[in-house]
Amino acid sequence: MTVLLKAKEVTKTYENAKRPSLNKVSFSVENGEFISIMGASGSGKTTLLNVLSTIDTPTGGEIRINGTDLKNLSATAAADFRKNNLGFIFQEYFLLDSLTIRENISVPLALLKVPPAKIEKNVRDFAKRFGIASQLDKYPCELSGGQRQRASAIRAIIKHPSILFADEPTGALDSSSATELLTTLLNANQELHTTILMVTHDAYAASFANRILIFRDGCILKELSKGGSDRHEFYEAIAAEIAKSDTTRTGGSLK
Amino acid sequence: MNPLSFAYKNLSQKLSFYALYLFSVSLVITIFFSFTSFSMNHVMLEKISENGRVESMCNTISVFLMIFVVFYMSYSNRFFLKQRTKELGIYALLGCRKSAILQLLAFENLFICGFALVIGLVLGAAAHKGIVFGISALLGLSIDTAKIPFFQPSAVRRTVCFVFLVIFILVLSNGRFLLKISLMGLIRFEKKAEKNLTPRRLPALLGLIIILSGYGLALDIVRGTKSVWFSIGFYVVGMLTMMLIVIGTVFFISAFLPYVVGKRRKNVKAFYTGTRIITTPNFIYRIRTNARTLIMLTLLSAAALTISSIMALSLYYPVAAVSRMAPSELECRIENDQQTEEIKLTVGKYADMKDISFLRTDVYKITSPADGLPMEYHVNTAKGDSENEKLLRTPGFECISYTDYLALLNAQGKHRIAGQLTGLQEAECILVKYQPNQDGSDEKGDIYPVVIGENTLSLIVKETTLNNPVSFANSVGTLIVSDAVYSMLQKEYTPETSILSINGHAIKDNEPLYAELKELLHDSPYLQGSSHRIHEIFSLSSSTFLLIGFLVILFFTAVGSILYFNNISTAADSKADYEMLWKMGYSGKALRKIIRKQVFPFFMIPFAFGLLDCLFATLVYKTGLMQNLLGSNPAQFLPTLLAILLTAFFYLLYYLLTIHTCYTLIPHVRAVYCDDRHHDRKART
Repeated sequence: MTVLLKAKEVTKTYENAKRPSLNKVSFSVENGEFISIMGASGSGKTTLLNVLSTIDTPTGGEIRINGTDLKNLSATAAADFRKNNLGFIFQEYFLLDSLTIRENISVPLALLKVPPAKIEKNVRDFAKRFGIASQLDKYPCELSGGQRQRASAIRAIIKHPSILFADEPTGALDSSSATELLTTLLNANQELHTTILMVTHDAYAASFANRILIFRDGCILKELSKGGSDRHEFYEAIAAEIAKSDTTRTGGSLK
Repeated sequence: MNPLSFAYKNLSQKLSFYALYLFSVSLVITIFFSFTSFSMNHVMLEKISENGRVESMCNTISVFLMIFVVFYMSYSNRFFLKQRTKELGIYALLGCRKSAILQLLAFENLFICGFALVIGLVLGAAAHKGIVFGISALLGLSIDTAKIPFFQPSAVRRTVCFVFLVIFILVLSNGRFLLKISLMGLIRFEKKAEKNLTPRRLPALLGLIIILSGYGLALDIVRGTKSVWFSIGFYVVGMLTMMLIVIGTVFFISAFLPYVVGKRRKNVKAFYTGTRIITTPNFIYRIRTNARTLIMLTLLSAAALTISSIMALSLYYPVAAVSRMAPSELECRIENDQQTEEIKLTVGKYADMKDISFLRTDVYKITSPADGLPMEYHVNTAKGDSENEKLLRTPGFECISYTDYLALLNAQGKHRIAGQLTGLQEAECILVKYQPNQDGSDEKGDIYPVVIGENTLSLIVKETTLNNPVSFANSVGTLIVSDAVYSMLQKEYTPETSILSINGHAIKDNEPLYAELKELLHDSPYLQGSSHRIHEIFSLSSSTFLLIGFLVILFFTAVGSILYFNNISTAADSKADYEMLWKMGYSGKALRKIIRKQVFPFFMIPFAFGLLDCLFATLVYKTGLMQNLLGSNPAQFLPTLLAILLTAFFYLLYYLLTIHTCYTLIPHVRAVYCDDRHHDRKART
């Protein structure tokens, strides 16, 4: 497999911060991988997602996606880069209230100037594949949270991004809707070979990935690979690792 | 929590948030106070008001003004309240009672309105001084400005009382809002989204049909006497037209526009672009949720633009028509040579005689036995002077010679018109029209048999003209005949009247001379003066112009500000949407385009409707209620054009201010916008 994303000693220090939010983080992502980034609040996982997706700029280090050095991108070039290469899923769905689900899903394709007939066909196919075909002409306010998040996921996947960033996508969902969404993401990864980088603090959600990066204090504390194990075994391994890392938090002890 | 100190801290810490509210309230109080000071300025009113006319107008307008200020301040207050519902919800969550929140809001309003009152009083007093100075200069009034205090105590009292009354109304309104809303409602108020409804065809078509009928009916007036405006009655059709346009506007905005844009939404080829896929559904959504505000602003805008256009036309038209009503600087009828000498002596006291031309024109009256003579032949009142309209005039043509006509035109400075004349054959004549025929016909080529002594002579109309050489007070149905025919008249008759026309720059704008001549001629209604007439029109109309001007400025300020508040409120509510679009790959430039496309229709709709309504209303007013003295001269529409341009400029200013604020309100747009502006500046330097 080819390397899609390469982060080398990425550092991010916010103004007036005592310590860096990201401290010389290095890792790489291969094409078609499903990676989960875990960690407690303030561990730097969302900051990492932001700098990887050109939403924020690192104060040091190098990030390359598909061979493009993100450091050299101007604001307009960064917008074009996001348009052509990246997909996003947010915890709060961020569907546009005034657009139907069909229109919401069509936005990235319209932005990419895909011919209208092809947009319509793609939207129909994806909606059918991910089970929201009957909801296409409804408005977001007429859908449940799970359906909205699935629409949001399709909106991110439909343009076949090089990499899909998901920031706590199950954070606002009940367990059943969360499982449906994670299955959708897993299907996209396995059937469409969409590379996914998902930030979560939920071990169950993380178990859908095939590699886990556990963050603490802006550094990668541990890396776990699913390898040949099944999802249940992987979930237990993640939970054990999280429990282990929680007992050794800086400045605290369970004793 | 002490609401008073909390309100003070809140205001001092969020000064930039409240600055806009403060600014808008100050602006309204400035207008209100300057108007109140003017309406209570007895020194000024004594000079410009006759029989309490201006005072009663002031009273009427002040009622409108008060209603408007209450409405406008309530809107601004509600706007800022909506912006803060979440914050108020947090206070409630922390245990604040609604009464404490209401006290907090009341103190905040008291601070803001109090501060705005101080600003408004100072600026309003300065504006009032400016108005007094402007009117004095315009009308040439001698006013002792020392007698007019900077702050009129009675006006200050009235304004302070009024502002406190408004604060009381705002407190009641806020109290009602807080009473009706639940805690959850406060916290989630901003997130409340209305369900989208599919636009329906029937109301949409109804909107189009009704508004087209209204405009069609207005346009019918150009058919002249065949029009329903004449056959049914002006006021009945006028009311019907207004009703159709108002109802049509309501349906057009609330049903037709969403329907048409909804159709566009189904046109996949046009719809699937990065910008339209966002702006088209958003337009339908916004127009549905804001239909009432938009309709109200559209009607307000139409009323303001129509009033300003008609007002400007009403002032300008009589001034432009002075060239016909009183073509010479001074003109009067003379009875004998001695009177002429006395007039010359009087004029000589005011100006150097060598700069003045005195032309005596003898007018001969002839009759015609024929039918189908022009309207001017039969006019039986001495038009042109309202005090004199009861004087009867016998039908006939009033003849002057071609040589006199040329001499008068040249003396009046109309050299170009005189130069275009090609002379008259013996039996040819030029008919001076009072106004063009309503059906567009012309008497050119008509032959009028006229009786001169015992002979009958056929005169052929070579051309008709609106360039009358003498005023209508002294001659209507003027026929310019060849010098040969004129000498025949001189042999047969004595002149019906003799008119003395006095011209020259030296006697321009000379009111004392006019007053002395008036005395000399014993208040003769036949004394006419061009400059005097203009002065008289300004004296009579300027106060009306000014008072209506206050209302128009207030209307436009309200429309602009409400549009501004409405748009920035929508932009602020959509911050998260813009952030999401930015993350999806929309550049700062693309987001700015989306903002522009979303804001533009909300300024364009009131302006376009205002423009259309103004054009049709001006057409109806001009055709139905004004005399057509100036024919098709396009210059008479100059004030309408000016009113439209000023309104367009006003809207443009508010539009630019609105989009600028929207750009700076949305973080990613602001970052790129500021960056671009920095680059532009750098490139220029």
